[in-house]
Amino acid sequence: MSELINQTIARRRQVIDTFKQELIRRLNLAYVPEDLHEDVSLLGSGLGLDSLDALEIVLCVETCFKIKIPDESISVLRSINTVVDFVIEQQDAKGGRA
Amino acid sequence: MRVSPLKEKLAAAGAVFRERHGVGVVSHFGNLRAECGAVRDAAALADFSFARVFTLPETPGIDLLDALVAGNVPKIRFGRVLHTFLADKNGLLAADCFVANNDQEFVFICESILPDAELDALLAFGGKESPAKDLTASHAVLSLDGFKSWEVVKKIFGADIIGLPYLSIENYQFAGGPVRFIRAGKTSEFGYLLIAPVKIAAQLFDALKAGVEEHGGRLVGADAHDALRVEGRFFNIFREGERVRDPLPLGLQWMIDLEKETFSGSAALKERRAAGLKQKIIGLAADANCAALQSGAQIFHEGRAVGEVVTGCVSFVLNQPLALGLLPLELAFSGLQFRVGAPGGPVARSISMPPIMPKSLAVKLDEM
Repeated sequence: MSELINQTIARRRQVIDTFKQELIRRLNLAYVPEDLHEDVSLLGSGLGLDSLDALEIVLCVETCFKIKIPDESISVLRSINTVVDFVIEQQDAKGGRA
Repeated sequence: MRVSPLKEKLAAAGAVFRERHGVGVVSHFGNLRAECGAVRDAAALADFSFARVFTLPETPGIDLLDALVAGNVPKIRFGRVLHTFLADKNGLLAADCFVANNDQEFVFICESILPDAELDALLAFGGKESPAKDLTASHAVLSLDGFKSWEVVKKIFGADIIGLPYLSIENYQFAGGPVRFIRAGKTSEFGYLLIAPVKIAAQLFDALKAGVEEHGGRLVGADAHDALRVEGRFFNIFREGERVRDPLPLGLQWMIDLEKETFSGSAALKERRAAGLKQKIIGLAADANCAALQSGAQIFHEGRAVGEVVTGCVSFVLNQPLALGLLPLELAFSGLQFRVGAPGGPVARSISMPPIMPKSLAVKLDEM
């Protein structure tokens, strides 16, 4: 694979791994990171997290990546992948990785 | 072939039918775009009588069901519903299931890819002494979905329906008959399943149809639900489930209680989990005019065949084809570019799912 693709994958994998590990720890989920598909729904169906858990996710992102999820951005919390997209987008906007 | 108790009514309304695993289902009512739009923007009524429905008394139902499904049945609180799956002895998907703890009984609903006789054999509820009641022939199942679907059921059943949380069950009366009412849905908009005895099903169908039409909605078929499940990234046993069969690459670990000792197919599933995943599915999107993103199409990366499309649809919200592709783990990431059908075929990009923001997610029913 090209170096650019490798870098893209490595960066995304790092954000995913960090987020999953912290999510499992904070919410005491009975899974290992490999069990959590990145597209699994966080709220409602899927992991079935509630509004209190949603707050934990917001704090999780803040702690791990020093990035705030605004109150009105509930759409970010649709899945692990949408959270990761938001983190990478915010890191790019800040001009680098946190 | 098993047919819906509402078949004549559906045919009179313009339904086009097809057979799926020995069961007649409504494909569509002639306008897929309008049917998908009805769910996203208004309300839509579909016949889900293809589903198998059973009831079991609380005891021994709790143990019988727990020995079968991957989720944890004893943990289901009263009035709540567990979304899980049933696997065969090889740990391969047989049915996508709801198990509801409903006032002295469990309600067990299966969307199955097995013919009825094979599912019966797997469930082993049969026999004269069986505590299970098979409601499949005596009841109709209706699915009401859509951004405004709660307004339809509120008018018919009352305002307290608004307070029902996602994955819960409640009993209501309609025209002198019982209706088991489940808030569920697999479109990412508000959704309800209504299980009604045949003697009142036609009347309930008429009332719901009038309600959805009042809100600008319509009748919809399985083709629309198939497309909406891709768009909302809800698991579809009849599409990617049937093609892949293994719940692990499909990302269904959340449906499994990994601390549970045994359930149907658990040994094979646990063995595969311990061996580690080699592939998984990921969302794909292509340009608006791309027709290649179809189930079965090969996926190429840097000239090499690396996977295949397992289900696809046209998203009328995004105006582009969407799909799920089965890819090796090292390539199952959003943000990559692939070719479909041939090494130089049309471009498909891997995307984060779900790619849409459903209108219902912005509405808090419990605050209304």
